[in-house]
Amino acid sequence: MVKVANLRKRFNGLEVLAGINLRVKKGEAVALIGPSGSGKTTLIRTINGFVIPDAGTISVGGEEINYRDPESLRQIRKKIGMIYQLFNLVERTSVQVNVMAGALGRLDRGLSLLSSTVGFFTRREREKARELLSFVGLEDKAGERVDRLSGGQKQRVAIARALMQEPELLLADEPIANLDPKASRKIMELLLRINQEKKITLIAVLHHLDSVRDHFQRVVALKEGAICFDAATRKLNDHRIQDIYTVDEEIECIAAQAGI
Amino acid sequence: MHCRASWHLNKAARFLWWSIFLVVLGVSFRISQVDIGSLIGGLSQSFALGREMLPPDFSRGKQILILAAETVAMGFWGTILGMIISLPLGFLAARNTAQNWFLYHLSKTLVTLLRSIPDVIYAFFFVTAFGLGPQAGVAALTLATVGLLGKFYSEAVESIDEKPVEALAATGSRGLSVIRHAIVPQVLPLFMGYNLYLLDHNIRVALALGVVGAGGLGVELFTQMRGFHYQKAAAILVVILVIITAIDRVSAYLRNRIIKGGFLQPGSRSRDAALVGAIGLFTIVSFYFMPVDLKEMAAGAPRIWEFLKGMVPPDFSRISVYLKLMLETVGMGISGTFLAMVLAVPLGVLASRNVSHHPLIYNLAKEITNFLRAMPDLVFALIFVVAVGLGPFAGVLALGLNTAGFLGKFYAEAIENVDPKPVEAVEATGARLPQRIFHSIFPQVLPLFNSYNLYILDRNIRYSTIMGLVGAGGIGYELVMTSRMFEYRQMAAMLLVILATIMILDLVSAYLRKQVV
Repeated sequence: MVKVANLRKRFNGLEVLAGINLRVKKGEAVALIGPSGSGKTTLIRTINGFVIPDAGTISVGGEEINYRDPESLRQIRKKIGMIYQLFNLVERTSVQVNVMAGALGRLDRGLSLLSSTVGFFTRREREKARELLSFVGLEDKAGERVDRLSGGQKQRVAIARALMQEPELLLADEPIANLDPKASRKIMELLLRINQEKKITLIAVLHHLDSVRDHFQRVVALKEGAICFDAATRKLNDHRIQDIYTVDEEIECIAAQAGI
Repeated sequence: MHCRASWHLNKAARFLWWSIFLVVLGVSFRISQVDIGSLIGGLSQSFALGREMLPPDFSRGKQILILAAETVAMGFWGTILGMIISLPLGFLAARNTAQNWFLYHLSKTLVTLLRSIPDVIYAFFFVTAFGLGPQAGVAALTLATVGLLGKFYSEAVESIDEKPVEALAATGSRGLSVIRHAIVPQVLPLFMGYNLYLLDHNIRVALALGVVGAGGLGVELFTQMRGFHYQKAAAILVVILVIITAIDRVSAYLRNRIIKGGFLQPGSRSRDAALVGAIGLFTIVSFYFMPVDLKEMAAGAPRIWEFLKGMVPPDFSRISVYLKLMLETVGMGISGTFLAMVLAVPLGVLASRNVSHHPLIYNLAKEITNFLRAMPDLVFALIFVVAVGLGPFAGVLALGLNTAGFLGKFYAEAIENVDPKPVEAVEATGARLPQRIFHSIFPQVLPLFNSYNLYILDRNIRYSTIMGLVGAGGIGYELVMTSRMFEYRQMAAMLLVILATIMILDLVSAYLRKQVV
């Protein structure tokens, strides 16, 4: 599903991604962990084209991203749903309107482009939005303004918006970092349910290791821009966690490179 | 279930608001003779006039330059005299430095009243009193400046930090010495910024005042347009464009330095000092270019008294005509605002850095907005009266284009300040640019847009009263005609109708602002 080869990126001379190689199979769920500044968010953002790498390639669904061509980027983005730490919803509008925005990428031609731009959607799309809202448990909130919702509800709206895209891949950048424990568990369960029921590949940047252990089979750890752990979650013992999160020390990267 | 009910109620209210909006708009279009046919016709007529203006004829270059200097001088002197009067008024009309209840309310009312009347009306009034020439222009600019600066100054004084004032009062100082040592240092940069803004504004207004005979380049423009010498008129327009662009740049540069506190700081001290020096020198030199006849002004003063006496009692015998014309005037203001909104949306979107990625498009849109904003509406009106003929439609075009410049700038600033997070999220769904604009940017800026639209509506209705002075519809034309026939009592009645309308609309717009924002 996702193939990352030899990916490099520098910001102001600082090497953020130092040659990443990663392969994620279709339907897999992968947790991406690592200390702050290790390049997790940058990696996620190169996959949907908001960061342009200096070297290396990424392909999604067998299609290599051409960062120079806005249309190619757009086509890749249509396949990828994105979940953010701060939800990134349009606060002043209704839940329904926010969810409908997920359909925009699909409605990108001719008359449907015109009508979707000004906010008219077909009955089929509207019904789909309702279905998704009931899937995430917000069927009675469709008309509510987003700024009246709680954090957990907002994240569920964001998930419904991403699902509205009919994506093949779901990227989540610290989806529970701003939520309380109860809402966090609900969101993680929802994301994994989507992964299993809808067979949508999931890559989630997470800080909360308990959530990683509870929900994921595979963990990839980044440290100083390189992958230093990529294996089954059960191999993630205390010693390795210590290694991953100990910065400023010369440590050998653990070369448990399954799948590369 | 409760939230669902409120949603439907909300929907009904919105439907009601939209209906009112559409009905008012339709009636306004009808009154001000705006329809698709007139718009298309107006466009082709304007292009035809534009072709006749090319190439500009600079054969009267010398006169134009002298008049240009006179215009700038009018702007300078209007600003300086206005500043001098506003300084005490600003402190008297500020709550924290007011001397007593009576003076506070008197000065506040005076400033508000002065602000609510369009500058050109003053010019028109002083031309009648002082005769044609720049002295009427300077007097008009002075009054208009007091209306604006008095408000700006008093608001600046009201917003100061009170702690230094208390500290100084605790040492036993009082009155003027507190103002001098605790308040002036705080408000000085603000005052300087406002003065520069007013200077910029007044030079632009001065360009238009000549249209009613109050001196400056406007007189020449008016004469050439009316004499069908379009190429000569084009030369004047070119000079006006150069002046407003230059003034705009200099004033923006200086204001920016003052606000950021970098003014006269090491690094650019000599350059800033040179600029200020140049302005000062120009002020002195400009005196020679402005044939203000002090004797004539002194002689004019009793004439103002005569003039005012001649206005009482106001003659309301033709009130039904005035009301009908006032309706046309308000209709022009509403139609003009709508035109401005329609033009400003694309301009504002293209002129915002975060949407318009191509520097060429961005800069072009920005320059067009600057040009529309800086060009005085009366100059636009003069051009459109020739292009599309006498009547309210010319006024609608003039108000619409001029304020499209204001709105375009406001919109662009609002768009540049949106929260980028939802914008990225919508982009991440693979949405195209127009979809992103409509689904992630517009919902964020809509309340701001509405508040700007209301402000512009307010302004346009005020200024639609003067469009008639050049024949662009509304009550202004009748005002000129009655003054030409020395019917001062009728004129007084008309001015009262204008004032009353402006006050009522102030209330309406204050109400609308509460609803929308």
